Order: sequence, then C-alpha cells, then structure tokens
Amino acid sequence: MTALTNNLALPFTGIFISLAVFLAGQWLFKKSKGFFLFQPLFFGMVAGIIILIIWGKVQGTSTAYVYRHFYKPGGDIIFWFLNPATIAFAIPLFKRNDVLKKYWLDIIISLVISSVICLFIILGASKLVGLSHSSAAAMLPQAATTAIAMPVAEAIGGNSAVTAIACIVKAVIIYALADVFIKAFRLQHSQIGLGLGLGTGGTIGSAKALQFGVLEGAMASVCVVISGIVVDLVVIPFARLFM
Amino acid sequence: MPRKDKHHKTAPILVQCAIFAGILWVASILSALCPPSFVVPTPVIGLVLLYLLLTLRIVKLEWVEGLGMFLISLIGFLFVPSGIQIANDLGILKREGLQILLVILVATVVLLVVTAYVTRLVIAIHKRIMGGQQHDSIN
Repeated sequence: MTALTNNLALPFTGIFISLAVFLAGQWLFKKSKGFFLFQPLFFGMVAGIIILIIWGKVQGTSTAYVYRHFYKPGGDIIFWFLNPATIAFAIPLFKRNDVLKKYWLDIIISLVISSVICLFIILGASKLVGLSHSSAAAMLPQAATTAIAMPVAEAIGGNSAVTAIACIVKAVIIYALADVFIKAFRLQHSQIGLGLGLGTGGTIGSAKALQFGVLEGAMASVCVVISGIVVDLVVIPFARLFM
Repeated sequence: MPRKDKHHKTAPILVQCAIFAGILWVASILSALCPPSFVVPTPVIGLVLLYLLLTLRIVKLEWVEGLGMFLISLIGFLFVPSGIQIANDLGILKREGLQILLVILVATVVLLVVTAYVTRLVIAIHKRIMGGQQHDSIN
C-alpha cells in the first residue's frame, strides 16, 4: 500500500490528471460547439478540483493533502513551462511592430490610465463586499496575464491561487458574454479600444477578439503583453499607497 | 509573409531551447537584483529581453519562432495547475467565494469598458493634437 502511495506521489499523477481533464474539456468544447462552461481551461480546473475532492473523500484525507502530495509534484512541472511560454509572447509582439510603432504611445497611455482607474474601482468593490486583505490584494493584478499576475499578487501580500481563479473566470466571462457587453456599452466604435479591452481577458480574450477582426486580435495580444508590464509597474506602488 | 518564411532555415530545436534557457537565466539574475520594494517577475524581464533582442536584430525570428509559437499554443493547458492550485485552500472559496465572484464580475466589466473608452478618448485626443500641429505648420 505504501509502495502504491509513494508511486502516486511521483509527478506522473499530476501531469496525467492535468492532461486528462484539459483534453476532456477540449473534446466537450468542440462537441458542444463552444459552450462557454466547457472552455477547456475552465472545465479542466473545475474537473481537476472535483477529482482531488473525491480522491480525498475516498482516502479519508483532506483535499489540501491530496493536492500537495499527489497533484502538486506534477502540476509544478507543467507550471514551470509558463516561464518560457510567457517570454514567447515577445514573438507576436515583435511581429506586430508595425502597429506598435504607429500606436505605442496611445496604447501605453491608455493602458496606464485605465489600469489606475480600474484599480480604484476593483479596490472599492473589494472593500464594499468585505474581502479579506489577502483576497483583495489578489484581485488587483488580474488585468495582467495569469503568469505575471500571480507573482505580483504575492509581492503585495495577496493569495496567488485566488488571482489565478480571477484570471481564469474573467477570461471565461469575457469569452461567454463579450457580445452582450459590447452591445450594452457600445464598444464597437473603436477597433483598437475594443481589442485592448478584450485583451484584459488574457489569451482567451485574445482568441475572442480575433473573432471580431484581425486588428482587434492584434491589439488584444498587444494588450496582454503591455498590460502585463503596466500591471507590474503600477499595481505594486498602488498597493503600497492605498492598501 | 509568414508563408514565404518557410524557405528560411528554422534553428534546430535544441538551439531554440538554449536561447530560451539563456534568456530565462539572465532574466532570473536581473530579477534577483531588483529591490524587494520593486518586484519584477523573471518572465516579464525575459519577455522584454527577447523583444529587445528581436527588435535589435541580435536574435533572428527563425531562431525562436518554432518553439515560441508551440509554447503559446499550449498556454491554456499550462494554466491548468494554476487553476487547480485553489484545491490547497478550498476554505477560502467557502468563506468568500461569492464575494470573490462578485468582484471578478465587476472587474471584468470595468476592465473591458474602461480600457475601451479610455483608448478611444486617448486616440481621439492624440489625433486632435496631431491635427492641430499640422494646422499650425500650414500657418
């Protein structure tokens, strides 16, 4: 029995679970013709957590124990690859140097101003519903892509797991409801503005932006990268000043 | 244009890995040199480094493109462990799950709408300033 438990604690378990739930999500997403709750990352996250909860119940241990001993060794290996994957975003950015050279000042000014406005509103909303300090701090960097948002959240005393959830759920909401928001707030007038806005939904938001047009898609990718850097530079001093 | 680039030699995969590893290595050293009051995560520095190397034509696109685009195509999958990480502390969802969801919903709408409107405004102002300058030069 202990031999089995030791084997299950090897990284293979976490890697296999991650692949299985993500692929199941991809399959369901395709079969359901893009039903938003089957967005592979979102489905994979929920299914993975449910598997760990059931595993814990069967084994009679807490979910946290199962996570740390059986899932995390493999999960960490996959997570490590976010390092090279994040720096790879320099490539699409470089390929769109033409758009960047024309609008770089507008883009940077817009993203700095809007991120400061958003930070005040998000902090206000967090205080209003009475979030604890670590959860409120976790909410602040969510405009950045998850790989950047998580270390920033930790730097300002936030719970980075909550930040990851925020980034994923936000992307799923944007993917599912972008059309509703665009109609309700009349966002279709500026392609660049819409693209940058959808880019706050990270890579999933960028995929959505591409459905509206090539320029929107390009701007969303630009937003993912630039707002990641803006969040890094703005959120830490903001948290120091206002939290 | 990318289609034509097929004729270019893509660098061997190990060479591409070495470039990524080298950038990450330098980035992690630079990240460690940042003061604790100003944290810059390694991937952010690496991203800027690779962008600069490409823009300054020190690194050629075909040296990094194959591996880079492959990694980007995997990005959804790579985030699965970050999502499942919350299993380490499900209590927080029981305590504040609803409030967290509410704030995420507000943040999603606010980020989308504010970013779109501010960008529209900034571009309009920029165009007006540019237009004004042209007008001045004519005078």
